[in-house]
Amino acid sequence: MINLIYLTVLLPLLGFLINGLIGRKIKNEKVIGIIGSGTVGIAFVIIILAFIETLALPVENRSNTVELFTWISAAGLNIKFAYLVDQLSLTMSLIVTGVGFLIHVYSIGYMHGDKGFWRFFAYLNLFIFAMMNLVLGDNFVVLFLGWEGVGLCSYLLIGFWYDRKFEKGTTSQAAKKAFVVNRIGDFGFLLGMFLIYFTFDSLNFKEVFSRAESFPVAELTFGLIALFLFIGAAGKSAQIPLFVWLPDAMAGPTPVSALIHAATMVTAGVYMVSRASIIFASAPAVMMIVAVIGLVTAIMAASIGLVQNDIKKVLAYSTISQLGYMFLAAGVGAFSASIFHLMTHAFFKALLFLGAGSVIHGMHEEQNIQKYGGLKKYMPKTYLTFFIATLAISGVPGLSGFFSKDEILWSAYANGGFVFWLIGAITAMLTAFYMFRLVSLTFYSKERFDHHHVHPHESPAVMTVPLMILAFLSVVGGYIGIPKVFSGEHGNLFEGWLEPIYAPALAKLATFGSHSHLEEILLMAVSVAAALSAIYFSLYVYTKKLQIAENVSIKFKGIYYLLWNKYFVDEVYEAAVVEPIQKGSEKLLWKIFDVKIIDGLANGVASLVESGSGIIRKIQTGITQFYAVVMMAGIAFALLWLILSL
Amino acid sequence: MANTNLYQSLSLIVPEIVLTIALLVLVTADLIFHKDKKSIPFVALAGILLTGYFTLIQIGNYGFAFQTSASAFKHYGMFASDPFSIFFKVIVIVSSLLIVFFSFSSDEIQKITDRIGEYYALIFGMILGMYFMISATDLILIYLSLELLSLSSYVLSGFTKLRDRDSEAALKYLLYGAVSSGLMLFGISLIYGLTGSTNLYIINSLIQSPDVNLFTLAFAVILIFAGIGYKISSAPFHFWTPDVYEGAPITITAFLSVASKAAGFALLIRFVKTTFVSYTDPNGMWQLINVFDWKTLLISISILTMTLGNFSALWQDNLKRMLAYSSIAHAGYILLGLVVFSDQGLKAIFIYFAVYMLMNLGAFLIVMLIANKIGSEEIDDYNGLGFTSPFLGVAFTIFLISLTGLPPTAGFIGKLYLFIALVDAKMIAVAVIALLNSVVSLYYYVRVLKHMYLTSPTKDTPAVSASLPNTILVSALVLATLVFGLYFSPVVDAAESSLFILGL
Repeated sequence: MINLIYLTVLLPLLGFLINGLIGRKIKNEKVIGIIGSGTVGIAFVIIILAFIETLALPVENRSNTVELFTWISAAGLNIKFAYLVDQLSLTMSLIVTGVGFLIHVYSIGYMHGDKGFWRFFAYLNLFIFAMMNLVLGDNFVVLFLGWEGVGLCSYLLIGFWYDRKFEKGTTSQAAKKAFVVNRIGDFGFLLGMFLIYFTFDSLNFKEVFSRAESFPVAELTFGLIALFLFIGAAGKSAQIPLFVWLPDAMAGPTPVSALIHAATMVTAGVYMVSRASIIFASAPAVMMIVAVIGLVTAIMAASIGLVQNDIKKVLAYSTISQLGYMFLAAGVGAFSASIFHLMTHAFFKALLFLGAGSVIHGMHEEQNIQKYGGLKKYMPKTYLTFFIATLAISGVPGLSGFFSKDEILWSAYANGGFVFWLIGAITAMLTAFYMFRLVSLTFYSKERFDHHHVHPHESPAVMTVPLMILAFLSVVGGYIGIPKVFSGEHGNLFEGWLEPIYAPALAKLATFGSHSHLEEILLMAVSVAAALSAIYFSLYVYTKKLQIAENVSIKFKGIYYLLWNKYFVDEVYEAAVVEPIQKGSEKLLWKIFDVKIIDGLANGVASLVESGSGIIRKIQTGITQFYAVVMMAGIAFALLWLILSL
Repeated sequence: MANTNLYQSLSLIVPEIVLTIALLVLVTADLIFHKDKKSIPFVALAGILLTGYFTLIQIGNYGFAFQTSASAFKHYGMFASDPFSIFFKVIVIVSSLLIVFFSFSSDEIQKITDRIGEYYALIFGMILGMYFMISATDLILIYLSLELLSLSSYVLSGFTKLRDRDSEAALKYLLYGAVSSGLMLFGISLIYGLTGSTNLYIINSLIQSPDVNLFTLAFAVILIFAGIGYKISSAPFHFWTPDVYEGAPITITAFLSVASKAAGFALLIRFVKTTFVSYTDPNGMWQLINVFDWKTLLISISILTMTLGNFSALWQDNLKRMLAYSSIAHAGYILLGLVVFSDQGLKAIFIYFAVYMLMNLGAFLIVMLIANKIGSEEIDDYNGLGFTSPFLGVAFTIFLISLTGLPPTAGFIGKLYLFIALVDAKMIAVAVIALLNSVVSLYYYVRVLKHMYLTSPTKDTPAVSASLPNTILVSALVLATLVFGLYFSPVVDAAESSLFILGL
């Protein structure tokens, strides 16, 4: 099955082509839905089989390359279209196709009756196609192809309801914002790739990474490459300072938010950093930057999440915050912990979004949690699964989120220091708090919606079954990564599985301090206690004493205002970047440079060309004798030249 | 000549023999089925497919046919079968195949059903001429094959006799052709007088000696170039092109613009390489015998050709005429591949031709299908056509974009490799001029799009839909244009393996 891995890329492409080209004519939603989810489902099965096959191989043979064809071959540049099937890419593709499949199925119910039903599935399939290229590509170019592809799909799907309003503007403005911000990141990524090619004379992963180990390359070069790559990652994975597009990306249909803007695409940056671990490990200064940016993003986004009222916005900030955790892990050298959290996060965050979609669906497109309340009895299945996911993200022991978050916090403590751990733990506390605020305001408390117009109802089975499967995964997904402290001699299975990928990077870092088990268990207990108390407090405030919340918001008006307006980041960008650029482009670039110089030049050249072509056309008289004369004149001229050059 | 020699020679010209037989069968069939000529096109089709097959199995069977008896040069013949010739022959035969398909659905050709046998027989005459031209290594054979091609073309370009301009075109073509072939013969006779031989290889070794009259030699070569330059329609020998292309039936125009041009280029390249290159250095650069400043002359000609072509195309309102000028411009680009005098440049020419065949024939096919319906090739009649005929509109757009040389189409790859070759040969200034020329070409290609898409359709705008076979044909060409724009290594590999020119 490893050799058939290309099918997992081709099948979604096939689905895209069928739905995209003739979907409009199919008209039958069931057929479109089955084509859309079926192709991804089969891809998932193939990945599972390839995974089992790889598991059976001895550890040293687990990295296989499936070459398809030589893509670009010009001078020294040789780029093959090949897929790398190894522990990391298999893990990623299991997540992409597995969670992707569930979300496809869910969408059949969610998008029911939409006039763009076929278009939606075509885009979704195209996304899976691009994402699979991204995670399976065996060189930076194929990765970049997928990287741009998912960016395009993200753009298309955010603006999917192009005729709807979104906040102050339209969905297409949100889509544009996402695209433009991503371009900034992509620019960094491209520079990184150029520098990699310049330094290592290759773009193939295996070659680059083995040369990164052996070539005598200055740390500064590594630092620049890593920094450029990280700019790319920060754009795609919504980190400071490029996170502003993700909250707006919620303009897309909710399954899109679940698939692209929570579970898969936004984690591409984490994947890329983890794939290039050896490069990052060779640039300690950039590792520190990665860790700090991750940490600051985590706590900042979590704090914004405390006060938001749009159910999807809360989840969006929560996603940014969790992505911050992943970068924190990568930055302190715990690459496998970051991928582990990426996986568990894919389960519970996809579940949260899909649950939110189910709520929105049942509440007639209402997204403001202040207008929910008491939905528990109307949508029991949605409630239960949403609740499980909330427990998981809050880090309650026994669920998946606990294991992965704890591993990150422990690595932050062991490699980064106490402050890293402390901020991480506070973020965990905030997370628990705002998630339970969300649950309380939505499912408990008193019903605040208008009973005459809104009749909450449970979603159909096609939507709730994926929720249950994801809920199951959110509970048990963590048990493959039980920390050494508890699992004893077997060690951390997940870490052991990914270990060969990171071995070169970890050998280079080799600074894991030795800490006692007692320390680890103690820290764990403290963070769990903090999370539990945050949950209790949140439940108490938002189900019993809503007054407290109001009092706090009045008392700390400044902070509340700051958080409510998301630290004014959008406004600052508007004033510091967008506005000057707009003014500058209008006053200087457009009115003077473009209109006067460029247009003048272009029009001048054009009229020159025009008059030139007028003259040239006159030569073509249609008179044969004249042609013969010109021809002879040409020969005579050549002869003259000949004589002169002798 | 020994029998073994003859037998070996015949084995090398199997494709040409097949072509000749097919031509005879066509003529005979035309006489036999003079009542119902429906089967004639299929006979032609079969002949082309057979020739294609025999051309392909010729791969690996390389050598000289009809070797000279002069003992010192025994291993050089009149006819070379080598990877280089196979590549161009494949280009010729594939475009012939496409032209036969075009002829199936061309209105112009349907109207002359009673003379369809002659039509195909003449096409076969052209193909035969091209095949010999591609492989000829002897000035006599070169001249004969050139004339065979030209004579068939003269007749075909006025064949339909539907409009006055057809006959005018044919006459102009003939007169002009007569002048240039006269010049060429003059050049050939001068060379024969200088060296006493008509074999290119012998000429090559003779002109390396110091006591050759360089001036006469260079003059002779310029005259020969006039003959070839007229075939590839390079400036200043291009004047016939727009008139003939506009007047000839569209199938023949398309054929002339691709296959005839390919054969002309093959002849030019072989002529230059075997006559004036002393050796190829390990970097693939061709070392020229110091006769004359070829490089500057050819650079001037190619720049002149593309500039004249592009600038004249700007305001053409007839699409056939516009495509005629565009094909002149493309000849200019292709000539640049020769100017670098290196294997890399030759590779670029191969790639460019493969790509040019697809996109140019595709564009002509669309023009033909639309002309079938609306009976016009004027650009104003294309107003709003993109909305009423979405399939053809999109296909035409892709071909035009590709002709401009923009990604993600095959045309981009063709230009890319050409420019890489130029840059590697440190001819940056030339590359920039060629680039600017493509910018100019963007204007007239996109102008068609403007008419198709930026003018709203009126009630009278016809909806042109293609029949199923034509839909398949157009889709195949579109697909190839797009696929080779993204996945081009097969073309590059094929070009890479066809670089070998026999001898030297």
